Amino acid sequence: MSQAEAIGAVPQAVEEEGAARWGWAAASLVLLLALGGLVRFLEANVPVWLAEVNWIKSVEFPIYAIAVGLVAGAVLGALGLRERLGVAFRTEFLIKTGLVLLGASINLAIIARAAGPAIVQSIILITTVFLVAWWVGGRLGLNPKLRALLAAAVSICGVSAAIAAAGAVSASKEQLAYVASLVIIFALPSIFIVPWLATTLGLDTVVAGAWIGGNIDTTAAVTAAGSIIGDEALQIAAIVKQTQNAMMGVVAVLLTAYFVLRVERVPGASVGLGAIWERFPKFVLGFIAASAIATIYINSAVDPKTAGDIVAVAGNSLRTWFFILAFVCIGLEFRPAALREAGTRPVAVFAVATAVNLVLAFALATLLFSGFELA
Amino acid sequence: MGQSGQPPEAPAAPPEAAGFRINEDWAATAVGLILIGLVLAGVIVKGMIP
Repeated sequence: MSQAEAIGAVPQAVEEEGAARWGWAAASLVLLLALGGLVRFLEANVPVWLAEVNWIKSVEFPIYAIAVGLVAGAVLGALGLRERLGVAFRTEFLIKTGLVLLGASINLAIIARAAGPAIVQSIILITTVFLVAWWVGGRLGLNPKLRALLAAAVSICGVSAAIAAAGAVSASKEQLAYVASLVIIFALPSIFIVPWLATTLGLDTVVAGAWIGGNIDTTAAVTAAGSIIGDEALQIAAIVKQTQNAMMGVVAVLLTAYFVLRVERVPGASVGLGAIWERFPKFVLGFIAASAIATIYINSAVDPKTAGDIVAVAGNSLRTWFFILAFVCIGLEFRPAALREAGTRPVAVFAVATAVNLVLAFALATLLFSGFELA
Repeated sequence: MGQSGQPPEAPAAPPEAAGFRINEDWAATAVGLILIGLVLAGVIVKGMIP
């Protein structure tokens, strides 16, 4: 190859690589949408096929979506295609977009009324569960950075909180990946166990929603569990969870200050409040904005019922699609190998903190949300 | 991950992760609000969603 040909070949190779990447991204998106369509198909037809099985009618779309995702993930893993076809598997983006859309289905007045108890519940839960996880981690001799990641993840909102905490304490990639795996491993069964417990205990849907929002770590899992119980539980669970999410910035700043000033003792270091805004989950603003837009639209309409039906296209129909795709991604991204690689002590910290979270969130949800009216 | 339960330390990656998270938050907000706008404007109607 001449020098001129070689120079010409480089951009061509880059172009081909770019085209291949776009091809995989498009294939990934098509696959995800097809799996979402399959979930819709199963949701509509399985109860018909198994009409004699009574409980099958109560199986909601999150269960089909996660099951479809788990099976598809196992197939892709076996074929060695999971990484290449994983571009569109964006659980966090899909769930956040779904939550913004969910905002349109909640009257702004409900968010305003629920904010008070949600903030009280979040402050007590985050503080207690964080300190329990931190203390147990210390007793078991864990590295302080790993303790910080575990405590933030289990007390606030799972992977997002672990990412924020990792930035605050300069944790390693491996520590972050490890805690993220633990979060997913604990979140997946809780999607099914907590709604089952809430139903078995005969909890009011609002209290059940507040329990789910306060107890389950990841926003996606909270949404899945809330959806299994129903729309009312989902709305309260989403408000409570997003209140916890919003406190992530404060915890990240406190962690930064603690590590800079106490653990690492950096001379002359200071911690700016700008970090609170930097780590604030901005989609919460989208959720509130969506609620405000929909509330104003319905309240100012000549025919509020028709306006409500129009808003429901975004707040229910589109939102359900984003949630289905997000829940399929939960299944697709699940890697059981991460559990095998895990040491036992961090798992013990996570398990103890999760148990404390479960009991305390139940008590707080019952205390703060009993008698709360959604209408 | 060894038996000790202590993941090894390597150069941290969180700045990129945190930056991505923020972009993703704004992207989700923009996509969600645009979709709501399209629904309210009558561009997306119920019959279009399977």
